[in-house]
Amino acid sequence: MNQRITIDPITRLEGHGRIEIFLDDAGEVVSAYFQVPELRGFESFCVGRQAEEMPNITNRICGVCPEAHHIAAAKALDEMFGTPCLPAAARIRELIYNAFFVTDHTTHFYCLGGPDFIVGPDAPKEERNILGVIRKVGLDAGKAVIACRSRNHELIKKLGGRGVHLCGALPGGWSIAVSPEIAEEARQTARQNIEFALFSLDIFHKIVMGNEAYRNLVLGDLYAHQTYSMGTVDADNAPNFYDGTIRVVDPDGNEFTRYKAHEYRDHIAEHVEPWSYVKFPYLKKIGWKGFVDGPQSGVYQATPLARLNVADRMATPRAQAEFERFFDAFGCLGNGPNGRNRPVHHRLATHWARLIELLYAAERMQELADHPDLCDPNVRQIVSYRAGVGIGCVEAPRGTLTHHYSCDERGILTSVNLVVGTTNNNAPIGMSIAKAAKGLIHKGIISDGILNRVEMAFRLYDPCCSCATHAIGTAPLELTVRRSGDGTVLDRIRRGY
Amino acid sequence: MVVVGLGSPFLMDDSVGPRVVRELAGEEFPGVRFVEAHAGGLLLLEELSGTRGAVIIDALIDEGLPPGEVIVSGIERTSHNAACSHDCGLPEALAIGRTMGMTLPGDADISLVAVVAKDVTTFSEALTPEVEAAVQRACTAVRSILARKHAGPPAEAP
Repeated sequence: MNQRITIDPITRLEGHGRIEIFLDDAGEVVSAYFQVPELRGFESFCVGRQAEEMPNITNRICGVCPEAHHIAAAKALDEMFGTPCLPAAARIRELIYNAFFVTDHTTHFYCLGGPDFIVGPDAPKEERNILGVIRKVGLDAGKAVIACRSRNHELIKKLGGRGVHLCGALPGGWSIAVSPEIAEEARQTARQNIEFALFSLDIFHKIVMGNEAYRNLVLGDLYAHQTYSMGTVDADNAPNFYDGTIRVVDPDGNEFTRYKAHEYRDHIAEHVEPWSYVKFPYLKKIGWKGFVDGPQSGVYQATPLARLNVADRMATPRAQAEFERFFDAFGCLGNGPNGRNRPVHHRLATHWARLIELLYAAERMQELADHPDLCDPNVRQIVSYRAGVGIGCVEAPRGTLTHHYSCDERGILTSVNLVVGTTNNNAPIGMSIAKAAKGLIHKGIISDGILNRVEMAFRLYDPCCSCATHAIGTAPLELTVRRSGDGTVLDRIRRGY
Repeated sequence: MVVVGLGSPFLMDDSVGPRVVRELAGEEFPGVRFVEAHAGGLLLLEELSGTRGAVIIDALIDEGLPPGEVIVSGIERTSHNAACSHDCGLPEALAIGRTMGMTLPGDADISLVAVVAKDVTTFSEALTPEVEAAVQRACTAVRSILARKHAGPPAEAP
């Protein structure tokens, strides 16, 4: 008789999710699954609406990354109406977007992912939270976290017209220009963010990498997977969250492909499993070979770690120094193909990569805030409706986010498709959970600490389940959980056709 | 005093919080700030910062209760549903804020108005009939709380 263990809800995950682990008679793990709740009818909700509503609809898909959806929708509209974004408006968008990255990565490190390291993976679960973090690193750190979120939310509100669910996006532009007072606030915020990012990296180095047990956990094999990596880079192959070219490198660090957002369907296909309604994207030219590592498998990851793996450098100086320190720590600095860094495959290193991105976002904010034309009032342009297709892409904190719309000559939407950050990582999340579960659970012995270490395998991806399920269209499926290998149905979850 | 309607305006019964706030925002409540919000936890903490009292209206998932039932309680009855899993729950967020020395309402000055939802997973701007029928009862519940607890001049930040 197989034993079934369910962890529901997953603590500290963005949105709600569920893991199921299946044991055989000997108490060994047969398989493990990661499941998310289904949300229905997103495409039919959008089709028939005016296209320019999309930034304000998609930013309410969930409360976690409204800015990512807002900006991706704006970029899709730019393309659909044939109106490239005005330079002043593009600067505002990117400034907001980097402020958002600062808040989002801060929340993950201190509230969601960091407690496992700062408080400890085996600490009682009631202590593995931000309050436990504050107890460990001090009240001043807690105040710095709250202040960081608050000042960036305030700046986003002023630049974006509204807090949390900003409303500034227009096709080809932005609705409000930046006043000199807000520009000064942006400069101050950026400076404080840089200090905060350096402070956070210092905590990481002292508490995580300075602790032998934690360092071994990060550097060990339990959480390692050799897959392709995906991320958006600028002309110098440095990561850029707002715009650029999507680059994919293979597990050895060779560039596999690079493409523009509108070409995504030539490069990405989606695999369907009978037990999940969230699809599994993979590299089309490699093909789907199952949930397996290696260059022959089309599985890729799109995460902060992936973005560092695809990059040749960082665009800002402090982030560049930390980037070099990062690859050096894993023995990967400069010893890949053509002098590139070899990709880091230790997935727990994603936490460190996220902090390097936090530093880059803060430094990029400073560059944008210091731009002499930040207050340029030329942020809006007249747009005419036309029938067309628009594909907008940004790097969301959780991976490459793509909005794909079609509209008729009146600007009425005729189709909508989203590929969200978390969906990119659906296959690797499942692989990481299964590997951790198989490595940790033996003879049916499961402690709270063991379960938490299994949860750590997906928490590092910072998955946002609500977005991932919203993106799936109108056709709910019956969800069946099967035993891997022989396909025996272990569970069937009611979902209407 | 702040009245927060929590929920997505596009996920059926999940929109009941913002809907109640919209209904009430046109009425005269001196010193009361009405807010539509989408996330609990630390974002909600930012909304409560600087206030002396709060009413939070949210959809409640409870299969043991009939859809449309309106439940008024203090925060001792919050669950992860009344709060949010994006970062932490409401009691935890309040604990963090108080640890930081933020000005926040006391537990006794925070009221919850929960409406039992039927469907929060389908994209629609409409409520289910059961929850639609509960909107005015929820509004009445909020008015009663404001009448009972609201006192003094506006002293709102931010």
